[in-house]
Order: sequence, then structure tokens, then C-alpha cells
Amino acid sequence: MPDAALYTPTAIIGSELPRIDGPLKTSGTAMYAADYHFPHLVHGVPVTSTVAAGKIRSIDTSAAEKMPGVLLVITHDNVGPLFRMAPGGHDGRTSESRPPLEDDIVRYWGQYVAMVVAETIEQAQIAAHAIKVDYDPSSFNVSKVLDDSPTEELPLHTESKRGDAISAFASAPVKIDQTYVTPAETHNPMEMHATVAVWNNPKFTLYETTQGVMNHQHVMAETLGVPRENIQVITRFLGSGFGGKLFPWPHSALAAAAARQLNRPVKVSTNRQMMFQNVGHRPRTQQHMQFSATPDGKLVSLRHDYRNHTNLGDDIHENCGEATPFIYSVPNLLLTSALVRRNVGTPTPMRGPGAVPGLFAVESAMDELAIALKMDPVEFRLKNDTLTDESNGKPFSSRHLKECLQLGSEKFGWSKRNPKVGSMCKPGDPDVILGWGVAAASWGAGHGPCQASVALLNDGTARVSCGTQDVGTGTYTIFAQIVSDRTGIPIDKVRVVIGDSALPPGPTSGGSTCTATVLPAIAEATDNAIKVALATAATAKDSPFHGKKPDGLAFHEARVHLEDRPASTGTPYQQLLKMANIDAANGEGSTSALNSNPEARKYSTHSFGAQFIEVEWDPGIARLRVSRVVSVIDGGRMINKKTAENQILGAVVMGIGMGMLEETIYTPKTGQPLNSNYADYMVPTHADSPSIEVHFIEYPDPILGEYGARGIGEIGLAGVAPAITAAVYHATGVRVRELPVRIERLMQSTVQV
Amino acid sequence: MSDCRIQLTINGQQTSVEAPPMKRLLDVLREDLDLTGTKEGCGEGECGSCSVRMNGELVNSCMVPILQAHGAHIETVESLAIDAELHPLQKAFLECGGAQCGICTPGMLMAATHLIAHNPNPSLEQIREGLAGNLCRCTGFIKIFDSVITAAAMEGSRTHAR
Ligand code: FES
Ligand code: FES
Repeated sequence: MPDAALYTPTAIIGSELPRIDGPLKTSGTAMYAADYHFPHLVHGVPVTSTVAAGKIRSIDTSAAEKMPGVLLVITHDNVGPLFRMAPGGHDGRTSESRPPLEDDIVRYWGQYVAMVVAETIEQAQIAAHAIKVDYDPSSFNVSKVLDDSPTEELPLHTESKRGDAISAFASAPVKIDQTYVTPAETHNPMEMHATVAVWNNPKFTLYETTQGVMNHQHVMAETLGVPRENIQVITRFLGSGFGGKLFPWPHSALAAAAARQLNRPVKVSTNRQMMFQNVGHRPRTQQHMQFSATPDGKLVSLRHDYRNHTNLGDDIHENCGEATPFIYSVPNLLLTSALVRRNVGTPTPMRGPGAVPGLFAVESAMDELAIALKMDPVEFRLKNDTLTDESNGKPFSSRHLKECLQLGSEKFGWSKRNPKVGSMCKPGDPDVILGWGVAAASWGAGHGPCQASVALLNDGTARVSCGTQDVGTGTYTIFAQIVSDRTGIPIDKVRVVIGDSALPPGPTSGGSTCTATVLPAIAEATDNAIKVALATAATAKDSPFHGKKPDGLAFHEARVHLEDRPASTGTPYQQLLKMANIDAANGEGSTSALNSNPEARKYSTHSFGAQFIEVEWDPGIARLRVSRVVSVIDGGRMINKKTAENQILGAVVMGIGMGMLEETIYTPKTGQPLNSNYADYMVPTHADSPSIEVHFIEYPDPILGEYGARGIGEIGLAGVAPAITAAVYHATGVRVRELPVRIERLMQSTVQV
Repeated sequence: MSDCRIQLTINGQQTSVEAPPMKRLLDVLREDLDLTGTKEGCGEGECGSCSVRMNGELVNSCMVPILQAHGAHIETVESLAIDAELHPLQKAFLECGGAQCGICTPGMLMAATHLIAHNPNPSLEQIREGLAGNLCRCTGFIKIFDSVITAAAMEGSRTHAR
């Protein structure tokens, strides 16, 4: 157990406080990027390529330019300066390294080739249709088979290695040798990407759909070739992103370029079809697994060799081996990877990037190995649990996978499971077969650097600010909870100001690290503001504490009081500030990156979980449904139980989408993402939502700061898909190794009712 | 195409707008009338983010050319709260965690209002069906069901739904 101090918070931490921004969201007054309108605002509509590879011979814009309301047609001839990010810079990450319209080469279907700007959206849309692009098409590759041999340009990487996995596997008594495939998936947040760019020479204000206002500012400064202080990025509310909005996409640069050329505010929004083309996706993966064990169920070797597709210009690595090196105890391990190029848009992280598709393969192989061993899959995992990260020899700061599996078993009723395939029926409905599956979950934990400010104002309110954003997870609310926790100022008197790159630099909302990153900075800023309030109390002329030593004073329940007397005997802080004619007691705070802390470097930091899933299989009508889920999460302290549960429920249902419904299909005929709408790319709906129980195993993780919170945006998705395919096997006898589970595959089931 | 003058009643208020006849009701609400509570999630009639009530029917405002709305009574999410007092459904969504990122929420609320107006005490199955046209990518839907059930139980929700 790490010997870092944990702090004992007040009851507001861990409460079920509803979102403080709920009234804005439910009344329709929360402002999302596309909601901003300005006088003289005009609309940009991009034209996208209708070939997957080739060269643009010519673009005929003449008809479009003459159409009513058209102000500007941008092509690669006149886009103006848009720059690439300098290599080696670590202070900003873009998505697609090529700025839009940089050259006349088309690398994927749906790439921007032009943009029309007109007075109204309708005028811009009609004119965009009138643009004639003449292509010299070339051959393209969107093959789903990722068997390409590694090359000098895209070599095989050894990511982790111990013992000799190859010879251990060769001589092991029980083994599994299988390949697992996860498809390209589209994030599909309900809010489409949009930019409203306002140019006020020399300054840009960009109203953005971004998960990182600071990162967006840094990238756009380099892209537009202007100093950072001339870019302000605003995202007060985001209609979710799931990773798809982490890094800037080309429409943002086009909007800014058009605003600069026209000297008018420009709005550019993608449509739902473009969401599948040019704003990222989870790349397809193909993972070869060789796992072996002793007959009594101790792992002997793990080999995980995977490929993921990437686009033509960027080496986007989907880190499928995220959990492989440490999730189980095994003496021999080899983890290797390589990229393969396809004519697809740019892949980008999607909720639980790498780990989620990686764990589909790892946990599927574990299930198959358990079956080969004739061992219960929960038992098998418990037997190979470890409290040491064997990839680096470090202890875990806080790992309770065992407890997750045990509690999950109990809540799910796992002991009633008959392991025989097709042996369990739905109570009261003998035509429906039940399948029960389990999988373990894991996701990294950590935090980056950040700054925050807190002001305790003389009107009795507080203000906390940080250049981060709330992507729908509850960031507004937990920030207010921290200030309230430390000051006793009621939650409805704490104003949270985020979503603006002009604020103290804050983190991107990604990797489930935002909470752990900002909380220590807010805590420190609050404590520093309190110090100022105490100093004021000790010096203000009419203060009852005049002449006292500030360190003999304390701050609780929004009052300053003598440390040895109860808070009720104190004076409201706002009165003291007023006495001194001070507007606000201000405090600044910062968090440094986790890996800069020598104590933290001694530990391996991860969250864990277990997913238990029941499916119902009705062979008579070939219907498969997920009917019941128990999700147990070991994610450190939960700051807000309500928003935390929201995160897990939403992630589990997204996992049902991954397991049963979602695949972006690139047609081999043209390379186009074919099912680029909500009718053909199915996301889970109300009807797909089963009964879900969420349990948190709360062990505050002291390495992640005094609140011990690890962040839980992603862990809930991990393990869902392999638990589904394990359950499907249990019901049908069909092992699905390529997601999503398709009914056609299940027709091969020979299980009879 | 030249603009036409459209008369309509929005949230009880008579209004007229000049707009091209095929301009979407969604854009008239958002751009001409500054009612940005109604959101666009797809523009193709698939997601329900743009749900409003038109003459008492639930419609996707992205699929309604403004010409068709001439003389119509339109209710948007902005009609739900009265004098800043939230509607029981709004309260329930915020209490129960039915709104996460919140972008689907206005449409979801209009679909739920419509459902409760016709069926003050819907069962879980009826809620699933009533909200079938509205997608949400954040919540996993469970807290949305809870929200509607809670709102239905809240006194006054029936009389409040106009
Ligand atoms: S925006 Fe109208 S249904 Fe999606
Ligand atoms: S709350 Fe985000 S889409 Fe429903």
C-alpha cells in the first residue's frame, strides 16, 4: 500500500448530487458550439471526395460562384496558408497531419476537396452540389483482412516481452491459438462536429466541439500561423465526443481560413454522413492470440500479435496491448504490433482506445482457454490474478480485480451457472436459451499537469476556473463539489467557469484523466484562497480576529473561526472581505504530471473491473438480446455517485453496440463508408437497453492525489464485448471471434431447445 | 426560390417569418427565432434530437419544410418551463441523471412530454416505445426511463403538459 496521505472529505464527496448544469441542459439554454450566431454570420459547406484515392485533375467552381448568396469557394488553389504541426512538438496534437486542401491528392473517400461559403446554409449546400470535381482515380485498398506483412516503413514492434513465449507455448499442455477481429467503429456522438469561427484581426475566436480547448488553441495557432494569444477556443458545452473530439479536425481550419478571408463569422458543421468520413473512427484490429496454461489452470504463456489499420499519411497506433502485459500473472509473454495502411479517414482514439479492442481479444482467449481447461472462467481468472505488474515488477497502487470478480459473481448469481452449452433456459420461457459470460476490465490511470484558480468572493459565492471542459461527464459538478467540500460554501453558490482557452491551462478530457488531473489543482487553489481569507481576517481593522495569528484560524462552513472553537462561532468570510474592502480572496493551484512524482513512479496505476452478462437466444426466431448486466468497477474514490453511475451505464450500453451492432463498412467497390447514417450504422436504442446493475468497489487510490479518484469514463466499456461473446457461446455453442455478433453466424448453432 | 411569409404560433406566441419555403422548421427555430434549444443530430429524421410538437403531434423538425408549418402551433423545449419553474419532466431528467451531455435532452423531453400527454402513467415498455425515435449516445437510456417514470409520478405533470 502506498504511503501517501489520503484526506477525509465531507459528505458532499461521494454524494449523489445532480449535475449543477442540469437546469441549463434541460431547459435548452446550454450553449453548444453550433448554437452560436453572430450578426453577418455565413455558412461553409465542405465538398467531399467521391473517390477513395486519386488526383484532382480540375475543380470547376464557375457555376457555384455565380449562384445566389455565394461569397467564396475554397479549393487547394486559394485556401491560403494552413500549416502542418512542427515535428517533435509535444504541446499540441492534431488528428490528421495534413492540413485540409494542402495538395490535390485524394487519400480517402470523404476527404475535403473544397468548401463553399454563402450567406445561408441552403445557398451554400446548393452551391456545394454544383461544384464539379474531375478526378484521376487510382487504385485503393480498404481490405478488411489485415494480413499485410510488416515493412521497413511499418515494422513489427515488440512492445513487451518476458520469458520465452514461443517455446513455452510450443510445449505447453493446454493452449488456444486464435485470431480475433474488431471492426472500424464510428464514435457517433449525438452532437455533430462544428466550428463557428470569428475573426477580429488579429484574433480568432473559435466556438468549437472539442474535448480540449487548450490543445485546440495550440494546434490552431500552428495551423493558422498565428501566436497562441490570438486564438481563443470556447466550448461551454459539448454534446459528447467519446474521443472523436479530442484533436482538431480539418473543418475547424477551413472555418477559420474562410473567416479570415471574408472577415465575417463562419459556421461549418459536419453532417452525419461526414461523421463517418473525416472526423475519425476506431480503427479495425486483427489480433492473433496464443495462450497456454498448465492442466490445473496456471497461465504458462501469452502471445498477442496485432495489427490495426491506419490512413495513408498518419501512423495511428491502436494500443491493443494496453492491458496484456499486466492483467494476469504469466512467466512468458510476447506482445508485438504493426500498422497497415488503408484508404480510410484518419483513425483517432475512441473510448478506451486500444484496451477495449485489445481486451476483446485477451478476454475471449481467456474464456476459450478456461473452456479448454474445463475450468470456470471466473475461477480461472482468480487463479491468475496478481498484485504486481509483471511487465515492470512494480506493485499496483490499488488493484482489486479479485474483489470485482467475486462481488460480480455474487450479485449476478454466477454459482447457478451450468457450464454446459445451451443448458440454461429463461425461467418461464423454455423456448429461450440463456447464456452467461464474464470478462475482466482494465484501463490505465494517471494525470497530467494543470492549473486552476479559485476566488472566494465577498458576495458569499465562489468561482473556480480551469481551461478544461465538461464533455458530458459531470466535470462542472465535481469541480463545484471540491470547492464546497473544502470551504463549506453551498454548492449552488459555487460558479464553475471552464470551456475557454483563456483560463488557467487545463487538461484535455481524454483517457479518463481529467478528474485526477484537475482535482489536486482545485484543492490547492481553494486552500490558497482560504489562506488569503484567513490573512484578511487577521488584519482587517474591524475583524473580530484582528491581531490574531492566521494559523490559529480555520475556515469551515463558509466561516472564519478560531481553530479551537466550532465553526458556528465564526464570522462569514464575505463579511470579513467586505470589512477589508476586498473583492475576493484568490488562490492559484497546480497539479504536476503523475510521472514527475518519484513516489508515484514506484507503482503501476490502473483501474479494474468485471463484467457479467446474460444473453437471451431464441433459436426459433433467431433473436439475440443482452438481457442483464452486472458491472463492478474498481476506479478509486467516486466523487459523485450519480455521474459515475451514468458513465458506467452509458459505457456498458455502448459496449452492447460494439458487441452486437456497430461496424463501419467500407465498400470494396468504391472505398466509401457505406452505412454512414443512423439507420444503417446501428447504435443501441431504448429497446436494446437491458437491466444493468453497477457496483463500485471504492478504494481511494492515494497515488492519484488526496481524493484518490481515478476517472471512470472508459473502464465501463472494457470487457463488455468479450463478456457478450462468451455468453453467446454459452447459449449457442458458436464462438464469435469477429465483432459484431451477426445473426448469420448464430444460425450455425446446433443447440436445440 | 423567393422567400415566403409564414405565420405560426411558437410556444403560444404568434410569429411570422420570411423564409425560403423549403427551409427546415429546425433552422427557422434556431436561426430566425433564436430558439437553439432544439438540436440537430442527423438532419435525416433518424435521431429525434430535433423533436418538437406541431399541432399536438411529435415531429422531427429537420424533416418539416417551413411551408408545411404555416398556421401551425409549434411547441419546443423552451415552452416547458413556466416563469423559470421547470416542468416535472425537466426536474426529473436533471434529478435522475437522464441528461448527461444534454444534447439529446431537448428532443427527448419533447418526446416524453408527448408520451405523458397521451399516457400519464406509461409502463417501461410504453416508455421504450414512446421514445423509440430518440437516440442518446451517453446515458444507456436507463436513467431516461427512470426520469420519465419519476416525472409521471410527480404531481401536476399531467396538468402541466399542454
Ligand atoms: S436531426 Fe432531426 S431526426 Fe435527427
Ligand atoms: S445525454 Fe448525450 S446524447 Fe443523450
